[in-house]
Amino acid sequence: MPEGIGPSLPTPALVLGADRPGDAGEALQRRLPDPLLLAVAVVVALILAAPALLPADPLAQDLFARNAPPGPPAWLGRDNLGRDVLARLLAGGRITLAIAAGAALLSLLFGAGLGLAALAAGPWASGPVFAVFDLVRAMPSILLALSLLVALGAGVGPVVVALGVSFAPTMAQLARAAWQRERQAGYVEAAVASGGTTWTVLRRHILPNVAGVLVTQLAIVLPRCVTSESVLSFLGLGVPPEVPTWGRMIAAALPFVERAPHAMAAPAAALGLLTLILALAGDRVRRHLDPLRRPA
Amino acid sequence: MRLAGPILRQLLTALAIVLVVFLLVRTIPGDAIDVLGIEGDLTEEEMAGRRAELGLDRPWIVQFRLWAEAALTGDLGLSLRFNRPVSDMLLYAAPSTLTLAGLSLSLGVVLAVTLAVGAAIWPGGFLPALVQALNVWSIAVPTFVVGLAAILVLSVWLGWLPVRGQLLSPVLILGLDIAGQIAKPLHEELKEVAASPFIRTARAKGLSRRAIVLGHVLPNAAGVLAAVAGLVLGGLVGGALTMEVLFGLPGLGSIAFQAIAGRDYPVVQAVIIIFALAVIVANLLADLAHTWADPRLASGGAGPGGGG
Repeated sequence: MPEGIGPSLPTPALVLGADRPGDAGEALQRRLPDPLLLAVAVVVALILAAPALLPADPLAQDLFARNAPPGPPAWLGRDNLGRDVLARLLAGGRITLAIAAGAALLSLLFGAGLGLAALAAGPWASGPVFAVFDLVRAMPSILLALSLLVALGAGVGPVVVALGVSFAPTMAQLARAAWQRERQAGYVEAAVASGGTTWTVLRRHILPNVAGVLVTQLAIVLPRCVTSESVLSFLGLGVPPEVPTWGRMIAAALPFVERAPHAMAAPAAALGLLTLILALAGDRVRRHLDPLRRPA
Repeated sequence: MRLAGPILRQLLTALAIVLVVFLLVRTIPGDAIDVLGIEGDLTEEEMAGRRAELGLDRPWIVQFRLWAEAALTGDLGLSLRFNRPVSDMLLYAAPSTLTLAGLSLSLGVVLAVTLAVGAAIWPGGFLPALVQALNVWSIAVPTFVVGLAAILVLSVWLGWLPVRGQLLSPVLILGLDIAGQIAKPLHEELKEVAASPFIRTARAKGLSRRAIVLGHVLPNAAGVLAAVAGLVLGGLVGGALTMEVLFGLPGLGSIAFQAIAGRDYPVVQAVIIIFALAVIVANLLADLAHTWADPRLASGGAGPGGGG
C-alpha cells in the first residue's frame, strides 16, 4: 500500500465501508465462505509452507534418475537433470507468487501513485507524465518487458520492475479517470472553496473513491503477472537459470516431452490452475467492488 | 483534417519507441564482443579492434544517428554474431511469422464476427452463451498454458500432431483467443443495432434477413474491430513470439530469442522495433478503415472508442 492510503484503509472491504457503513459487513459476509477465495488461500498457503512440508532440495541432482517417472520418493518424478519435480514446483511457486505480487503492487505504486501525484501537482507535471504512460501503453507489453529485461539484465528485481512498468499505464488511466470525475463533484469543489489544499483533497476525498477501482485492477493484474513471469522465464528472460520457476521448468522439460511428459505436465498444470483461480477470484473481487453493479 | 491528427500522433509514438528501444538495448552490461571474446579467445586488443570496426566505441547519439540514417534506406546493420545483414535475416524469417499471425487473426475475426452476428440475430439460442464462454476463456486461460496442454494432450498423449514444427495448434489457440477478445464487445454492439428502429423498418419494408444482416447489421462491426485492434494486435505479437518458441517454428520470435542470448543488439532492436511499428501501423490502418466505413467520423463526430 502506498503511504498515501495509509493505515486508515487496511482492506478492500473497509475501503468500501468508508463511505457506506452497511456494505462492509455485507461484502465480507458474502465473500468469506466463497469457495474460490478459499481455494486461493489454500494454494497460496501450500506454496508458502512448502519448505516445511517437503524437505526435498529443489536443486539437488540425481543424474542416475534422469527423467524418472513419478513414484516415491519423488512423487511427481524427476526432470532431465534428475531433480525432484515436486520440490521444484513448490519452490518455483513461491518465486512466481512473490514476483507477481511485487509486480502488481509496483504497477499500483508507479501507475496510480505517480499519476495522482502528477495530477495533484498540476498540468506542468501531469502532461509529460501521462504522455510517457501513453507511450508505454502503445507498446505491446511483451516487447516492453523484453526491452526492459534486455536493459536491466536477469534477476528477480528486473522482472518485477519490467512487469510493474508494463501494467502501470492502466492503473494511471484509472486513477486519472477517477480524479477527473471526483474533481467535478460538488463536495470536492466545496472542500477546495473552504480552503482545502490539493493534498488534503487528494487524501480525504479522491483516494477513498479511487481505491476500490485500483484494488479491482490489482486483482485483475495479479494473474496476468503470474502468466507473464512464466512466459518470460520460459523464454529465458526472467530470473537467472539456477532459480527454479515454472517457466524454466517447462523450458527445460520441453525437449524431453516425449520421454518425460510428467516433468512438463506438472508445472503446466500448476500454472494453469493458479492463473485460473486467481483470474476467477479477481473477477469476483471486481463484481463486489464494481460501483456500477452496486445499488446507488 | 481528422486524419492528420492520428497519423501525426502515431508517427511521434513510433519515433519515441524507436529511440527508447535503441537506448534500452544500448544499456545492456557487456556487449557482443565480450561474448565473442569469451567464445573465441580474443585478446583485449583484438576485442577493441572489433569494437572500433563496428562503431561500438562511439557515443550513443552518434550510433543512433548512423543507425537511423541507414535504417531509413533499409539497412539495419550487420548481425554481430552471424556477420550477415540483419535485414536479410528478418526477411528470411518474416513470412513464417506473418503466416502464423495472419492465419490466427483471420480465424479469430471470422469466428468472432460469425458468432456475434449469429448471437445478435438469434438472441434466444445458444450463441450468446458461447460468446460469453469464449470471452471468459480468453481472459482466464493464457495461450501459453493452452499451448502446453495442446502439446501434452494432442501431441504426446494422443499422438495426433507432431510436437514441433506444426502450425495447426498455434493457429487454433491464437485464433480462439482473438475470437474471445473480439466477440463479446462485438456482440454487445450488434445486439443494440439489431434492436434499433431502423432494423425494424428494414424488416417492415420486406427486406430479407440476409439483406438486413449484410447491409444493416454487419457494417456496424467495423467500429468495434477498429477500437479493439490495438489491444488484440499487441496480444497477438506476444502470442506469436511464445508459440514460435513453444512449437519450434522458425520466425522473428525464434530469431529474437537467439539474439538475446547472444547479445546480438542489431537483431534484437530490429525485431522489437519492427513488431512495435507493425502494431502501430495496423492500428492506424484500422483507424483509417473505420473512418472510411463510417462517414460520420470524417465530418468531425466522436472518434472511435479507446478500447475496452
